[in-house]
Amino acid sequence: MANLALRSLTKSYGSTEVLHGISLDVADGEFVVFVGPSGCGKSTTLRMIAGLEETTSGIIEIGGREVNNLEPKERDIAMVFQNYAIYPHMSVKKNIAFGLRSSNMPKPDKEKRIREVAGILDMVDLLDRKPSQLSGGQRQRVAIGRAMVRDPAVFLFDEPLSNLDAQLRTQMRLEIKKLHQRVGNTIIFVTHDQVEAMTMADRIVIMKDGHIQQVGTPDEVFHSPANTFVARFIGAPSMNLLDGHLDGASVTLAGGQEVTVPALRGGGIRKVQLGVRPDDLHPGSANPIITGKVTLREPLGAETLIYVDTPSGEIIAKADGRTPPQVGETVELGADPENLHVFDVASGAALS
Amino acid sequence: MYRNLTIRQKQIVWAWAFLAVPVIFYAVIRFYPTGNAILISFQNWNLLGDRTWAGLENYAKLWNDPVFWRVFKNTFVYLLLGTPISLVLSFIIAYHLDKLRFMHGFLRVLYFLPFMTSAVAMAWVWRWFYQDVPIGLFNNILASFGIPQIKFLQSTTNALPAVLAPAVWAGLGFQVIIFMAGLRAIPASYYEAAKIDGVGWFTVLTQITLPLLRPTIVFIVVFSSIGFLRIFDHVFNMTTNNPGGPLNATKPLVLMIYDTAFNGFDMGYAAAQTVVLFTILLIVSLIQLRLLRSTE
Repeated sequence: MANLALRSLTKSYGSTEVLHGISLDVADGEFVVFVGPSGCGKSTTLRMIAGLEETTSGIIEIGGREVNNLEPKERDIAMVFQNYAIYPHMSVKKNIAFGLRSSNMPKPDKEKRIREVAGILDMVDLLDRKPSQLSGGQRQRVAIGRAMVRDPAVFLFDEPLSNLDAQLRTQMRLEIKKLHQRVGNTIIFVTHDQVEAMTMADRIVIMKDGHIQQVGTPDEVFHSPANTFVARFIGAPSMNLLDGHLDGASVTLAGGQEVTVPALRGGGIRKVQLGVRPDDLHPGSANPIITGKVTLREPLGAETLIYVDTPSGEIIAKADGRTPPQVGETVELGADPENLHVFDVASGAALS
Repeated sequence: MYRNLTIRQKQIVWAWAFLAVPVIFYAVIRFYPTGNAILISFQNWNLLGDRTWAGLENYAKLWNDPVFWRVFKNTFVYLLLGTPISLVLSFIIAYHLDKLRFMHGFLRVLYFLPFMTSAVAMAWVWRWFYQDVPIGLFNNILASFGIPQIKFLQSTTNALPAVLAPAVWAGLGFQVIIFMAGLRAIPASYYEAAKIDGVGWFTVLTQITLPLLRPTIVFIVVFSSIGFLRIFDHVFNMTTNNPGGPLNATKPLVLMIYDTAFNGFDMGYAAAQTVVLFTILLIVSLIQLRLLRSTE
C-alpha cells in the first residue's frame, strides 16, 4: 500500500497537448474517482499512472518513489480494464494465476493466494470455468481477482462498469466499495458516470479538457461546486443557472426579481449566474425567487419534476409527488438562501 | 399461391431460390465430374475410343507402379516441408510487420506481390536464379565468395527443395495477410494487461498470442496443405525440359496425373490416380481439422 502523487503532469500527442499539468496527492488507502466527459484526459492520466502511456513532463510518484521511467510491472500497480481483458482460452483460475506468473512466490503459496482471492470475490466454485461460461458480473470479478492476487500498492480501474447493464452496475458498484473497505488498497477509478463517482469515491477529481476542475469529497463537489462546469456535471437533473446581475448582497434576475444571496467571496457589481439545484427549488417555498408556468411534469413517485417556463428560460424544480402543480398552472418557486450558488459569468468560478 | 404460405414457408422458398444457383453450379461443375472420374477409374479409355470396364485393374497397376510410389513420396515431402516452413515464416514476418509503423503499407505490398504474380513467370525467373555460372544469380553469388557452385535443378537431391522454395515464397504473402488480420483481432488490452502483470514476451507469445491465433493457424495449415498437395505449375515450369525430373525427383501426383492423361492418354489410369489424390486430400484435411480445432 502506498500513496500516489502527480506533479504537473502533462501529455502531448505530437504538438497537441491533451493534459495540461495535473497535480494531485492521493493518500494511502484512499478511493479516488476521476470523472469527466469523454476526451477530458481521465483515461490518459490513468494509463500514464499505469505506465502504458509515456509521460511528456511532470512526475508520478508511487509510495514516495518516482516511477516515470519504470515499466508497469515495477510500479506495484494492477489495472482492471473496461473490457476486462480476461483471456478467453484460459480457465478462471489460470486467468487469476496469470497475475502471479512473474512473481517468485513458491507454487503452494500461489495456489493459496488464488484460493484466498477467489474466496474474497466469492468465486471458488467458478475457478475451473472458462470466461465464456460466466456472466458479465462474474467476468468483472475475475478481472478484479487477477488484479487483487498480486496485492498491489495501487489499483487502477478504467471504466470497469460501463459494459454492464444498469442493475448489475449498481451491484458491482457496491461490491467494489465493500472490497475497498475490506482490503484497503489505494484505488484510482475512472468513470464518465457522475453517479458512480458520487457513490464510491472518498474524493472526486472532476476533469475537463485536460484540466482538473475540482478535487473534493462527494459532499464538497455537490454542495460547493467550484465552477459552473462542476455545478452542471454533478447531480441529475443538472443545476439551474439563471443569468443575473450582482449588486452587493443581491442578484437581479432577467425578469426583474431581486434575490438575496449569502455572503460572497468576491462581491462588487458584475454579471453573474445564479445556480440552484432542482432538488432545492420547490413551489410554495418561504423564500420565493422566480415565477413561471409549468410546461411539463415528470412524475418520479415520491416527487415530481416540473419544467417551468420563466423569464430566465426553462428551469427544473421538484414538487411533492402527491399534489404536484398542473401543466399550465403558474407557480412561484423558491429555495433556501444557503442553497443558492453564485458564479461569475466571465470565469465561471463560484463566488459563494 | 405464394401469398397463402406462412412466413416460415416463404423464408424457405427464398432461401432455396438463392441457394439453387450454387447448388446447381456445384452439381454440374463439381459433383458430376467427380463422380464421373471415380467411374472412369474403373474403366479403360483413351479419350477417343469406347470405355471398357476394367474393374480394379487400374488400382492394381498403380499399386505395382514404382513411379507412383516415388511420386507419392514426393507429394508428401512437398507437404511436410512446405506447410511448416511457410507457416513459421509467414508468422514470423506477420508478427514483426504488425509491430512496424514505418513503411508498413509498402512492406505489406512487397510481401503480397508474389501471390499476385503468375506462377509461370515466377517459376521461369527462379529457374534463371538456379542456372550455372555465369548465368544463374545464386551460383554467381556463390562463385564470387569462392564457394563451388551447386547443381540446384539437375541434382536428384537438390531439385525438390529448389522447386519448393519459390512455391513457399509465392504463398507467403497471402499467409502473412491472414496472420496479420488474426493478430489485429486480438484486443490491445490483453497485451496491456500482460504488461502490467509483468510477463515476458515469450510468455505473451505462447500463452496469449498463439492460443488466440488458433483459428487463423487452422485455416492457414489446411489451406496451404491443400496447396502443397496439389502443387503442379511451379514444378512443371521449372523442370519443363523433363517435367518432374530429374528421374522423377520432383514429380508430384498432379503432374503424374497430367502426364498419364494427356501424354499417355490412359484416362482410366489417370482417373485412378485422381481418386487417390482426392482421398489423400480428404484424409489430410480431416485429420488437420480434428487435431487443430479447439481441444475441448
